[in-house]
Amino acid sequence: MVLQQRAAADPRWAWQPYRPDPKRPWNLKWAGHLYRRAAFAANWHELQQAVQDGPEATVQRLLQPGPNQAAFDRQMDELAESIAKANNQLHMRAWWLARMLRTPFPLVERMTLFWHNHFATSNAKVNNVGYMLQQNRTLRRYALGSFADMLQAISKDPAMMVWLDTNLSKKGKPNENYARELMELFSLGIGNYTEQDIREAARAFTGWEIRNGQFYFNRNEHDDGEKTVFGRTGRWQGEDIVRLCLEHPACPRFLARKLFRYFVSETLEPSPELLEPLAQRIRETNYHIGEAVRMILTSNIFYSEHAYRGRVKSPVEFAVGLIRALEGQPSALALANALENVGQRLFYPPSVKGWDGGPAWLNSTTLLARNNLAQALTSCEDPQFGSRCDPVRVVRKYGRNTDEEVLDFFLDLFLQGDVSPEVRTRLADYLRQSAQFRWPAYWSERDRHEHRIRALCYLVLSQPEFQLD
Amino acid sequence: MLNRREFLQTSLVGSSLVSLKSFGPGFLARTALAAPTADAPGAKDTILVVIQLTGGNDGLNTVVPFKDPLYGKYRPTLRLPENQLRKVNDELGLHPSMTGFAELLQDGALCIVQGVGYPNPSQSHFRSMDIWHAASTKENLTEGWLGKALHRLNNAPAFHVAMANEPNWLALQGGPFKVPALSSLEDLQFRLPAATGADRRAQRDIVESAVKRPAENPLLQFVQQTALNTYENTRRLREIGRNYQPKVPYPQTGLGNRLRLVAQLIEANLGARIYYVSLDGFDTHAAQANTHANLLAELSNAVTAFFRDMAARGHRDRICIMTFSEFGRRVQENGSRGTDHGSAAPMFLISGRVRAGIVGAHPSLEKLEFGNLKHHTDFRQVYAAVLEKWLGIPSAGILDGQFTPIDIFRS
Repeated sequence: MVLQQRAAADPRWAWQPYRPDPKRPWNLKWAGHLYRRAAFAANWHELQQAVQDGPEATVQRLLQPGPNQAAFDRQMDELAESIAKANNQLHMRAWWLARMLRTPFPLVERMTLFWHNHFATSNAKVNNVGYMLQQNRTLRRYALGSFADMLQAISKDPAMMVWLDTNLSKKGKPNENYARELMELFSLGIGNYTEQDIREAARAFTGWEIRNGQFYFNRNEHDDGEKTVFGRTGRWQGEDIVRLCLEHPACPRFLARKLFRYFVSETLEPSPELLEPLAQRIRETNYHIGEAVRMILTSNIFYSEHAYRGRVKSPVEFAVGLIRALEGQPSALALANALENVGQRLFYPPSVKGWDGGPAWLNSTTLLARNNLAQALTSCEDPQFGSRCDPVRVVRKYGRNTDEEVLDFFLDLFLQGDVSPEVRTRLADYLRQSAQFRWPAYWSERDRHEHRIRALCYLVLSQPEFQLD
Repeated sequence: MLNRREFLQTSLVGSSLVSLKSFGPGFLARTALAAPTADAPGAKDTILVVIQLTGGNDGLNTVVPFKDPLYGKYRPTLRLPENQLRKVNDELGLHPSMTGFAELLQDGALCIVQGVGYPNPSQSHFRSMDIWHAASTKENLTEGWLGKALHRLNNAPAFHVAMANEPNWLALQGGPFKVPALSSLEDLQFRLPAATGADRRAQRDIVESAVKRPAENPLLQFVQQTALNTYENTRRLREIGRNYQPKVPYPQTGLGNRLRLVAQLIEANLGARIYYVSLDGFDTHAAQANTHANLLAELSNAVTAFFRDMAARGHRDRICIMTFSEFGRRVQENGSRGTDHGSAAPMFLISGRVRAGIVGAHPSLEKLEFGNLKHHTDFRQVYAAVLEKWLGIPSAGILDGQFTPIDIFRS
């Protein structure tokens, strides 16, 4: 199956701001698309508001903290503190999911997830919930801010220092692990540095230690001799190496490619020409990620068939998006457990490369697990989730009464009507037929009605389109 | 019906490869790349079942060098009498519990690799288990050899058939997705929110019809294809859950039940190439004799039933079962009629395609290393053989270093 294609988009057109016109009107489809990429899907109210406000104002809103942000953050920080004290990794995973489920600023959580995959650090080795949460906080702090500052901060982040052995790197016996991944995975990409660059750079990180849970510079273990990295010679310290990476011409291009894959498409392989304007923006703004994200979210290419349904939802995106759309409040602990069998364990990426993503998320067991998770969340019969994500409640809230109204509501909410007429007909048939089924004798009229609504919701969620972002 | 792999083998291997490559990137190039792998020994949808013996199995009382006078000297109370052993040859015998394994040996399906270990062996359960799981002795280990292998197995699923509360073993980490742990077929059932039979049929109809619609987006096609496989799989699993009749009876033991589930999953033809099962309790520091006899009986009986069941279904040459433990045990028994942690030990491989019999000498009981048996075969040589000769994928990048595959498979 051809999953990789080359983008044949004109770079000039691609990055110009999207202006709705009769050929590409601003409507539910693009509002839903924007919310899938820049948040964890939209609920009904958000969809309506986005359609009303237009793309520019909606992007602007998504890029800002939400109402009551400070109070929300404070509450989550307090929780994090007690979880760190207890060193409870299950609670840590649930904590982040709870954040994603309830945050008034979903874009920053999505970007934190992006950076978690970029600076992929696993508690399997770090084995310290406090360090992991501290790193999570750092990633969130810079998520839409300065990548330059983030790269410096992450280099001194205790979880990262344990994960890539910086804390073991001593004068005369430098450990190359961090220097290598800094260049290969965090800033430049393979082919933009030499093995000699890595060896020299590793010396600059010697003497970087952790004391009392914080970064500590141990002068005695630091190699302060001259090093030559990317052809530049000096008595470089670790901070200088990070700066040299940031000054390397490959760095903005590397980030641009990664952001393109995350926000635009996992299947289109963008040409260097197509990426250049985005890389340019990153360079000009001195690595201001928020500006790059804004450029993507307002661009022509983002609102085009090049981007539309060009990603596979990650398990977290799948579950959190579904729940947010339904305005549900299920147990985050139960969700953390359930997500393991869907294939994603937060804070435990499989390697320093992060999750492969894309089609690798799906095979017959993970897809089954996704469907079963959707069933468990929406059927109101699962002992773990109960009825805290009840489709019936949302249907009532928005005053959808007849079968037709309910059907269109779910199709618009989850797929923005993006299914063939045949699917709609089949779903309508189900509603018609099921009205005549012989249901258990002890069911009330209300039981029957609610069951059919929940079943219909599940049937919409089981459509293949819903797996795509 | 011709499956994809067979198609590749018949149509792409050989001279046509070169011309196809010139079409450049995309579908043809990818298939062309896949073809040599399909031609590699063991690549035809072979299945690997790994059985982990948790706790450190006493290899010396599993494959017993009964002729060696030092054996009795080191094992005054735990010595297994020669006349109870299942003789392999004039010097070696299997533990009396292992009648099944002895039959498999007769049958040409059991390979015993002697003296397996690694340099500077760790005697910590956790550290040594990690080393076996990661196929590396590096300080910090985060990825498993089987997890890494999954990247090279074309999105094939894998299953960890687990006991309740069994950890996520490191061996299975680092793959493209988290390997699911299941304890019953229920875990693989399609859960529709249906209340009656008619309701279920109507819902299923809608779910399944959705994957048959024509789609233009290649990613959507991919989801549809995956979903189609999923629905077919669950249907087969349901049938098998209802109708599975083992060709031979399985013992009613934990391992017996787990391997019976593996058999059902294999029979349902889900495309998985790797299965992982464990048996715990081998950390026999005290009163070892009975415990160890029971554990080896559980192992031998369950594996033998499983292999015979599979063989009767035509999978004799398609399945390979491999056992390992994090270490063997001390040669000299301790004062509690048990044994402490040791190092080198034997591994078992069961398949219709193994070189049956003993591979390698029994480690010397004279030249011990801190009272432990010295290994002569690195476990990664066994892994290399399993990866390259059995699963048909390169071992470089999966194992920490270059390891020559040990000659344990017939071609």
